[in-house]
Amino acid sequence: MSHTNTKYYYPYISPYDPCNPIVKKSYPTPPQLYLGFQPPNLPQFETAKEALYSGTLWPILYDKYKKHD
Amino acid sequence: MTTPSPMPPEYYELLDEIQAIDFVIVELNLYLDTHPQDYDAIQQFNNSTFQSKKLKKEFEKQFGPLMHFGRSYSTYPWQWDDQPWPWQV
Repeated sequence: MSHTNTKYYYPYISPYDPCNPIVKKSYPTPPQLYLGFQPPNLPQFETAKEALYSGTLWPILYDKYKKHD
Repeated sequence: MTTPSPMPPEYYELLDEIQAIDFVIVELNLYLDTHPQDYDAIQQFNNSTFQSKKLKKEFEKQFGPLMHFGRSYSTYPWQWDDQPWPWQV
């Protein structure tokens, strides 16, 4: 189950666009998009605190939503 | 009137624990909405709920009511409007 957490695209830049163009744009694609119906008994984080700080109970659903260019 | 002294460390430790266990309960609750047959998850949900209630009881024994409008017992005198309020914690 390997996928990239961020995908990119290159929008059209109009010659009449007054502002400096944004050449490359990105959008997040977290794991749940690729999981479909969640199977039972997925491995969980060891402690409740770890789950809280990661934002999910199951490591495979964890995504850092890392800031990127 | 002077600035109230900060709450003891256990106050925050207990709140952290309660927050963490309640998060696990929320996750399990949402999971169970779509997996009602998952017996192990239900067991974990009940164990977590039991632990959460235990932690809240312990907290309220030391620091007074955690919630109001009948979700927690009150101490004497009425302590609910004392500082710190939830947003001051």
